[in-house]
Parts: sequence; C-alpha cells; structure tokens
Amino acid sequence: MRISTIALANLKRRKGKALFLSLGIAIGIGTVVALLSLGTSIQEEVGAQLDRFGANILIVPQSNSLALDYGGVSVPGVAFDVHQLKNEDIQRIREIPYHDRLAIIAPKVLSAADVDGQQALLAGVDFKQELKLRRWWRIIGQQPEQEEDVLVGYEAARVLSIIKDPRTTAPAPPSQHGAHQGRPDVQFTLARNQLRINGREHHVAGVIGPTGGPEDRMVFGSLTHVQQLVGKPGQLNVIEVSALCKGCPVEDIVAQISGKLPHAKVSAVQQAVKARAEMVDRLTRFSAVVGVVVLVIGALMIFTTMMASVVERTKEIGVLRAIGFRRTHIINGLLLEVAIVSLIGGALGWAAGLGASWLALPYFSETGLRPELHPALLLFAVSAAMLLGMLSSIYPALRASKLDPSEAVRYI
Amino acid sequence: MAFISIESVSKAYRDQNDGAAVQVLSDLNVAITEGEFVCLMGPSGSGKSTVLTIVGAMNRPTSGKLFVDGIDVYALSDERRADFRREYIGFVFQQHHLMPYLNALENVMLPLATARLSARDKKDRALRVLWRVGLSDKARRLPNQLSGGEQGRVAIARALVNEPPLILADEPTGTLDTKTGNEVMELFRRLNAQGQTIFMVTHNHENTALAHRVLHIRDGVLVGESPHDQEMAPLPVDVAASRPHIVFD
Repeated sequence: MRISTIALANLKRRKGKALFLSLGIAIGIGTVVALLSLGTSIQEEVGAQLDRFGANILIVPQSNSLALDYGGVSVPGVAFDVHQLKNEDIQRIREIPYHDRLAIIAPKVLSAADVDGQQALLAGVDFKQELKLRRWWRIIGQQPEQEEDVLVGYEAARVLSIIKDPRTTAPAPPSQHGAHQGRPDVQFTLARNQLRINGREHHVAGVIGPTGGPEDRMVFGSLTHVQQLVGKPGQLNVIEVSALCKGCPVEDIVAQISGKLPHAKVSAVQQAVKARAEMVDRLTRFSAVVGVVVLVIGALMIFTTMMASVVERTKEIGVLRAIGFRRTHIINGLLLEVAIVSLIGGALGWAAGLGASWLALPYFSETGLRPELHPALLLFAVSAAMLLGMLSSIYPALRASKLDPSEAVRYI
Repeated sequence: MAFISIESVSKAYRDQNDGAAVQVLSDLNVAITEGEFVCLMGPSGSGKSTVLTIVGAMNRPTSGKLFVDGIDVYALSDERRADFRREYIGFVFQQHHLMPYLNALENVMLPLATARLSARDKKDRALRVLWRVGLSDKARRLPNQLSGGEQGRVAIARALVNEPPLILADEPTGTLDTKTGNEVMELFRRLNAQGQTIFMVTHNHENTALAHRVLHIRDGVLVGESPHDQEMAPLPVDVAASRPHIVFD
C-alpha cells in the first residue's frame, strides 16, 4: 500500500471520468501534434525544395549601371563595370565559415555574341555546377564534355534552326523537380550540331527543353572557353550560390560572402519557394495560435473536472487527513492520478494527431509527403500532456490539501 | 502525569449567516491517564464531536491547550500535526468510512501508505490486526461485501494498524444493530484490557458500561462525570449552566 496504490485504485473506480479526462487531453494534444506534424513536414518539404531548386544567393559586381538581365535578376553592364568578379573569387567564397553549407557555386560570364549571324546572349558556365543547379533542365542530346561543346536554349535553337519537327504533347506527370510540372512537353530532334559563335565553329551537344525562363533564348558554353572567346579571361559577371539553408539563416551566409567579396553585391534571391516558405511560416503561426486555444480549453476542462472530483471526494480526503496524511501526500496522490491520465491522454493524442496529419498531409503536400514518426514528437506530446494536467490540477490539489479535516469529518 | 490533558479549551465558530460568534465549548478541562477508557456523553449539539476533533488534533481550539503525551499538539505545524495523528491516534468513525474501492486489507493498510516500511511488512502488520479483530479470512473482500459489524471491525483494525497509543471513537455503534454493536464494543473492551487508551463519544448508555469514566457534556460545558455504574441523571439546563465546571485532574 502506497499513495500510488490509492491513486490507481481511484482511477479504476472512476474509469468513466478517467477515460473522459484522457480523451479530453488526447483531443487537445492530438490537435497540437497534428498541427505540428503538418507544419514540420511541410516545412521540411519546402526546405528540401529550397535546397533543390536553383540559387538562393546571387553575387554580381558592385555597379550602378544595369545592362543585362539574367534569371529575372539584373546583371550590371559588362562594359562599364569598375569592379569585376574574378575566377579567384570562387575560392574566396569557399573560405567562409558556413562553407559546408554551400551546395553549389555556379560562376558565369555573360556576353552578347554573334551566333550564326544573329545576336544572342552567350553564357560561359561551369557545366558540372550549372547542371546541378538547373535540375529541371531537360536536355535533348548529350551533356557537354569538350571545351567547344555548347548547349542551346529551346527558343534560340528554334530561331537558329537547330531543331526540327517540334511537337507538343500532353503535360508531363508531376515529378520530383516540379519545375515544368504541368507544362506541355515538347518533342523534337536535332537538325544539325554545328554552330558558329564569334567566328568559331562549336559543337551543339544538346538543346535544353523549353523552361519558360531566359535560358530558352541563350547559348551556354564552358566557362574558360567562353571567357577566352569573348575576351574576358578570368572575368565573371555573376556567381550563383545554392546554400543548404533549411537550418541556417541565408542572411548570415550573405553577410559572410559580402565580407569576403567587398567589391561584389551579394543578395538573397526571393523565389517562389521562398514565398511558399513564408506562407508555411504563417500557417505554423496560425497553428500555434489554434494549438494554444485548444490547450487552454483542455486545461479548463481538466481544471473543472478536478475541482468537481475534489468536492466529490471531500469526505474521503477528510478521512485521509484524519488518519495522518500530510497535505503533500494529498497533493501527490491527486497529481499522480492526473499524471497517469495525462500520460495516457498524451500517448493517445500523439497517435491520433499523427493519424490525422497522415490523412491530411496529402492535401497540403505537393510531393506526396508522409509525416515522419519523430520520437521527439511523442516525447513532446506526453510531456505537454503531463504539464497541462499538472498545471491545471495544481489549484484543485492545493484546495484539496487545505480542506479542514474537522470540516470534512463533519460529513462523517 | 495525564496522558491527555485538555486545559481551559474553548471553541467558538463564526455563524455563516449573521457572522455572530457561536460558543461551542467553554473552558473545558479534562485529564485522561494512559490505559483509561473514557466515554463522553451528551445530547446532539452539545459539543462532544467538537471535543473529539480537538483531541484528534484536527480542530484548533479558540483558546486553551491540548497536551498529549506531553506534546503541545496545537503548537505543532499543520504537517507535523498530520504526523502526530498518524503516530498517536487511531480514529473510528460512526459511518466507518472505509474506502469503497479498497478491500479490507487495503483499507487497514491505508494509514501505513506513507510509512517507510516494506510492502511485506505493511501487509503482515495489517493481516495481524485483521486477525485480532477476527477478519483475517475476509481480507480480500470489498467493504460492500462485508456486514455492518464487519465493516466496523475493519474500521477498528485500520485505527489500530499504526499501533497508536490513543483510540478516538465517534459513535462507533451508531449505525449498527444491537448484536453487531455489542460485538464492536466487546472488541473495544478487549483492546482496553490490553492497555489501549480509548476516548469514545457516544449517546448510547449501554456503551458506557465498559468505560472507566463517563464525562457528561451539555451546551459545551462539562456538567459532570460518573463511573459507568453510576449513571448521572440529566441535569436541568439552568442548573448545569450555574454549576462550577468540574476539573478532571
């Protein structure tokens, strides 16, 4: 016989009330777990998208003049730049404290060029880095391997008659990349594989399928080759950086790169995914408010149930006090009962919340994401339920402990 | 030296309706020696239950002192008084007030719940006391599976399990028929014969037959005492009020 024996026996006797209380806690905790699980899963998805899709940091020379446009971002005019970016700047970027967060560093040199007698924007890129950055590119043909291999954007290829028989087919099914998700797929074949750029013959390794972006109108060659071709050896116009920023503030990385490259303008790119992340943040904040409201309602329910229980058990508590139970023993007994009920409620709430988020997540996720069974969430659910139960029961337990035993015994 | 010494104890309550003070006990003085069996008799509302709760360390008197075994009981903190009740006092209530969700053995073990004893020791001790009250074969029964007399005996066993030097009983036969009431009183007699101090509140004259002394209280004032074989005739109220308080020393 211990205080726990009395608490357990009491719970067994009042099974209905204990179950009601557990369910109440389970609903409250379940709602919070479901919201948290949904929020976390969607945030993870958005984070993964942030890491996967394109650059999130753009580095351009410090200049006031705007001349060229690339990727929706203006690039300073080449001819009037005072501070040019150099190949060596890439190494400097790799020396920042957050260097391990830098997934991709994609340098570019941009220039207008004569391509088969027409003016086009020529970009010199590090193909290895660029193709990692532009995962949504669908290349018809091969990836460039030689110095003089080039990739041609779809519109440029069409104007230069590099492709033939283009035909539009049904939209591609949703893919992991999602970049051209829902866009009609265009099938074509290469009509020729030679291209004259600034008077030199080049081999067209492949054509980039239509993206709807500026690359459709561009020609891409290898970085060092294009630098030589346009007379800008070692010079760069833009460096795109993709940072793994799920767990780090991109602003810190921007600041660190700015410190290394004082002559460059470094800015975080606000992309659609970023906007979605903000939306998710708002959803998370809304979830937090809903969660707090639900928990407050749960706390009030526990409070009223415990108060009623104390009144109902006045006589019993009086007898316990009369036979030598201290106030602390009474409090411990009542809180132990609540702890057991809360533990069950918390575990049930965790399971119910995960189940609910499992059902709801497909309606919020674009990639068929499923909630993960985070052990920390179970720990959170049980701890929150216990805390909720304890906090809500402290006053009723104190009140029970302060019952005057002689008053209680008057009922006897 | 008296084992229990009630010294000039008065108790007044505040009336909840008009806030006026209601005097329940006035200048009570009683001394009880160890091993005595003392009954307190009086009509309803005379203050006898108040005396019992004061002696039971549950009801602080408005004035006066209570000493038990030399301890100034109401000088103790609330928590220490709870310890005092556990160590010194065994309560037997009129309605027995067993916990309906605990069996007889568990009810008897209840005062040991906070004791630093092993589960085995607690159980052995409770079984021994149940055996003393003749209920060792019904240890696993719930209160509602026991007769009224058996419930009374379980309540007495619960009061005894801590081996307290003092048993306080409030109308222990009040809800029992004559036969089972006699069984319970016989148990008290046997306990007292073994040296147990018993202070019992009753309005049943038959219960006083076993007591060494019977104290009479009326309107919060002790109006006399008599040995069990010298039943006092009820005194008129005006006479009782004018009579000097009898000091039992």
